[in-house]
Amino acid sequence: MTSVDQVQNQSGDSMTSISTRHHRWALPLAAFVGFAILSGCAKNAPQDTWQPAGENARNINNLQHWPFGIAGVVFVIVVSVVGYCVFRFRDRGQEIPKQTHGKPALEIMLTVLPALILIGIGIPTISTLFQLAKTSDTQCVVNVTGQQWWWEYDYPVQNGCGGISAPIVTSGQLVFPAGTHVLLRISSRDVIHSYWIPKLNGKRDAVPGRVQTLRLEADHPGIYTGQCTEFCGLSHAYMRMEAVSLDQASFTAWVNNQLKKYSPPAAGTESSAGEALFITNCTRCHQVNGILDSSGKPIIARPDKYVYAGVVPNLTNLMTRSTFAGAAFDLMTPSCKTKLWDTPADKFSAEYLKGVSPDCLNTVELREWLRNAPAKKPMYADPAQLTTTGGKYRGMPNLGLTEAQIDKIVAYLTERK
Amino acid sequence: MFTTGSKLFIGASTLAIAAAIIYGSTQDTSTLGTIGLVSAAIALVFLMGINLWVRDSNVAADDPAGTLTSPAAHEPPPTSMWPLVGGLGAALIPVGLVVGRAITWMAVIVMIIATVEWMVQSWSERASADAAYNATIRRRIMHPLELPILGAVGLGVIIFSFSRIMLHAPSAAGPVIFGAVASSVLLFGALLATRREVGRSIIITICSVGALAIIGAGVSSAIAGGREITKHEVPSFAEGTCGAETNGEADTKSSRAIAAKSNFAATIVLQGGKLHAYIVALTGPQRVVTLPRSNYSYVRFTNLDSGKYRLVADFGSDLVDVNGTQTQIPQRSCTQAVGKDGAQFMVLRPTRPSSPDAPFTFSVPGIASQVITIEVP
Repeated sequence: MTSVDQVQNQSGDSMTSISTRHHRWALPLAAFVGFAILSGCAKNAPQDTWQPAGENARNINNLQHWPFGIAGVVFVIVVSVVGYCVFRFRDRGQEIPKQTHGKPALEIMLTVLPALILIGIGIPTISTLFQLAKTSDTQCVVNVTGQQWWWEYDYPVQNGCGGISAPIVTSGQLVFPAGTHVLLRISSRDVIHSYWIPKLNGKRDAVPGRVQTLRLEADHPGIYTGQCTEFCGLSHAYMRMEAVSLDQASFTAWVNNQLKKYSPPAAGTESSAGEALFITNCTRCHQVNGILDSSGKPIIARPDKYVYAGVVPNLTNLMTRSTFAGAAFDLMTPSCKTKLWDTPADKFSAEYLKGVSPDCLNTVELREWLRNAPAKKPMYADPAQLTTTGGKYRGMPNLGLTEAQIDKIVAYLTERK
Repeated sequence: MFTTGSKLFIGASTLAIAAAIIYGSTQDTSTLGTIGLVSAAIALVFLMGINLWVRDSNVAADDPAGTLTSPAAHEPPPTSMWPLVGGLGAALIPVGLVVGRAITWMAVIVMIIATVEWMVQSWSERASADAAYNATIRRRIMHPLELPILGAVGLGVIIFSFSRIMLHAPSAAGPVIFGAVASSVLLFGALLATRREVGRSIIITICSVGALAIIGAGVSSAIAGGREITKHEVPSFAEGTCGAETNGEADTKSSRAIAAKSNFAATIVLQGGKLHAYIVALTGPQRVVTLPRSNYSYVRFTNLDSGKYRLVADFGSDLVDVNGTQTQIPQRSCTQAVGKDGAQFMVLRPTRPSSPDAPFTFSVPGIASQVITIEVP
């Protein structure tokens, strides 16, 4: 082999090596860029802050558009200048240029320009903060209380919300009238949680001992989801929330339904047997408004005696909401849920008010929950595992129900609409 | 043979030894005196020996090198201010004993500082024949102590002076003064940053004048005294209309609750003999207050009427384990008596839901038929 061939071979090896190195990087890079681009194309992104569905979220969204634009321009300029300098003045063995110190005009410009940009961003930001904190135009008030690991919603007696004559308490799903300024009074019973429905507003921490306010408004009827955004313990990831907006007439119907008198199951039915089992096993903690004991007295649940947070979900109208166990699981089968979620806004309210029909009931997960709740959702349900709760539960324990008992209780719960 | 100085110590040593022998031989009740005299004798002998060794630090006439290197051949060190400072501290001690303990402690601190500084100064001035070197080693030892302490004291004086100014100034003028001083500092700093040729002495002068101005104004403000700060009266209530069953006459939890200062579930107002509830975001006075179950709610009671009244939150009665027996105990919380235009907080945590048969209520003893319903879902 001549020396020329050797040089050519060496050169060819080198080219192959560089080419292989490029190929090695090209695929992961292309995959990364591809995923980054495709992730922005998600059609069904229920927790996307870039798709506001209400006035407050829209204010936040409007605020982020042009600062992102300015930041993008600044980013491109800085990266271009840095790239140009790195390439143009790279080390080629030349002498180190003369070093100088200070250039007042440039330094002043580099100070004043960012200051002006910050002022430009600051003015609309502060203005938006005040808009978001406004309470004077509130039309409806809901108390939102977080505890491990679910959200309780109680509606105080008020003229707002179309008028609520007696308190309503529910959980998992916040129901409110569309096109209404709703003020959430957010607090916590145990640790710090954080309430966030991205399509409706920013997040607000739920802090024990404090009441913090957050405005919500949804333009159209629909379901908007969220997630606890402050790590709050074992089942933090399961602590979801859903905000359901209804048209005003449907909301009034929902309120009336929540306040209607308790109707016991017909005697001799499986549901009636389920009521007896419910009273025996569940009413120590779970309240069903209006349920009576054998002597005809109203049963008042005392979760404060057994549960660390002092409350558990009220099950009076369980089947009017489509989730259970802190919105961690769906009460509806996937097909029914998809149908509800895909219902157009003008028909959504009527569809939601139908509640969970027996055909749509997700009996599989509900039965699993009744069979062994701690197996479905980590909750420290066994007080023996804890030394700090004074012997109280932190979540629903395994009640040791038989399959027949579960059938009866499910039958009873199915009628709680 | 014996120098003048050594003769003095020889005589004193001899006297101390003799005294120790005589005292030790004749006094057998206590050894303390003997020990003292023997100690004195040892010290005097030690000093005598040094004097004999250094020949009273005199330079011999036939020692030309000594005339150049001995301390006596050099300019004596300057006078020291520290004895004066120490004397001032000593004088302040009796003053402090009469006037106050703070002055005594200050005097003691001044004396300690003066003693330490004087000792180090005296040592360093004689450490070598080179005055410049002596000054250097003094700085090396003392500056790490002096500079932080002086800086902290100086800053403390300025801050304290500024606090006196702010306490004396009207509350409305506070932000203006604070803003003006902060702006002046910022402006001054910006000017200095842009004009590098400014001399050090000018900067020191301006800073000193500024510091003195603040201290002077602080002293004047301290002498003039602070402005009147309104104290919220919390009158006591002795009638006990809340009932003997309550845990205390007043809700002491509220005074410890930070949230009670900012987050109210409701403000209950007594005005014209009528009770009204005001709730954030609900328009107008309300007749029903809804409180969450098993969570803390903060309620403020404001009395706009003449006379002293208290607010009572009545949650019915509940079965409570009393020495192993389930007993119905009334569940009430009360404020203390609140005078006209006074206000007080309550912290409430109902654990049971309310019912139409036995509603929970806010009421004011002595004001008939004025009840606000409490709903607990």
